[in-house]
Amino acid sequence: MTALAQTSTGQGQSVEQTIQQLRELYATAPEMAKVALERALPALKSQALEARESHTDTAGRIGIRLGSVSELTVIAPFAPGGAQRLRAMLRLLNGNFSGGKKVGTLHDMRFVFLDNDTKFLFATAYDGAWDPYIDDFATKIPEEMDIIFSAFEGWPGIHSPEVKDWIVKHQIPAEGWYVAHPDLTVAESERLKRVGKAVEEFLDTIGN
Amino acid sequence: MATQTATATGPKQGLTVDEKLQKLSELYADAPELGKAALKNGLAMLTQELAAEGRAQTAGRIGARQGKVSELTVFLPFVKGGAKRLRGFLQLLEGNFRAADVVGTVHDMRFVFVDNDTKLLFATAYDGDFDPYIEDFAAKIPNAMDLWLCNFEGYPGMRNPSAAADWIAKHQIAAEAWYVNSPNLTATETRKLERVGGAVDELLDKIGS
Repeated sequence: MTALAQTSTGQGQSVEQTIQQLRELYATAPEMAKVALERALPALKSQALEARESHTDTAGRIGIRLGSVSELTVIAPFAPGGAQRLRAMLRLLNGNFSGGKKVGTLHDMRFVFLDNDTKFLFATAYDGAWDPYIDDFATKIPEEMDIIFSAFEGWPGIHSPEVKDWIVKHQIPAEGWYVAHPDLTVAESERLKRVGKAVEEFLDTIGN
Repeated sequence: MATQTATATGPKQGLTVDEKLQKLSELYADAPELGKAALKNGLAMLTQELAAEGRAQTAGRIGARQGKVSELTVFLPFVKGGAKRLRGFLQLLEGNFRAADVVGTVHDMRFVFVDNDTKLLFATAYDGDFDPYIEDFAAKIPNAMDLWLCNFEGYPGMRNPSAAADWIAKHQIAAEAWYVNSPNLTATETRKLERVGGAVDELLDKIGS
């Protein structure tokens, strides 16, 4: 289903070589794409040069990371009755995931039902490396994890020694990953929100 | 992996917290032991969450939104050779998507190759509503969009923004649930806060030295 490790290729190649490769790749593309490529090449070239400095890296065991922020994408089959249970649970929660805050490294997450409720997509953006992230869930919100993930086939339980293998088995690493603020962890963004508020208050005080 | 299970993020209106809890215990009656135990142990937390005001909203035409931040999730079918081209393209960029910086409303985006390279899962977090978001792309970076979307079946091109928006919506699957840590922080506001934070640090340094 995947080709991991492909995200860090292009290394050892000059930008010219990579662009040449891209031209070859697009030689068989629809006309629209060839035109777009030629128009975009100057910008692409400078991006590629920059990319040498800030390219995506691995998130540890699986997945990719840009700066401090990593991606985790899981597609897993539902257990019998699991889709119905999970949908009702999510609707009742109605967007209130206090567990997410408790973990403290979670930027965003989405729950998407696929293929007539037979499969499920879970995709999240989080801080740091894969293993500590999963450990964090097991320590901080084990109940939330089991309530949600028991909807899937073969979920061994968050405290099971097999839980990481289960996740890895269903995770598909992204081959492209963009984060607008790659150096901003959740903790840092919380701090900046406080700083921003304090500065506003300060300016108000001076203005009065 | 084509699916459609409607835009089901809408709130369950009119139920009290007790009724919701009752409903949950009925639903979980046939859950695996693990799930039942977790429900029992997590009851205090759940009661809080169920009592809180609903935070889920829609992103307009399709997709879920929380505060100012929306989600877009699509599965796009590759044309012949499309997967190979897109992979080569992504490898060249190595995570450096200047075009997304130019748009300025993108928080994150991922490209995941699924089903033996026959489809791409594209998932992004962005500011505002679906239609203005797509229009913004069409206005600001049509070229960059054509470059990667031309690898999919039926893509009409960004010079035809309304057809492109329809095409995306057709392949989109709205999330049933969506969580954002800072729902009121747009990408622009985040940039501003980063500058403010930098200036404050500098100021404190000057005072301290």
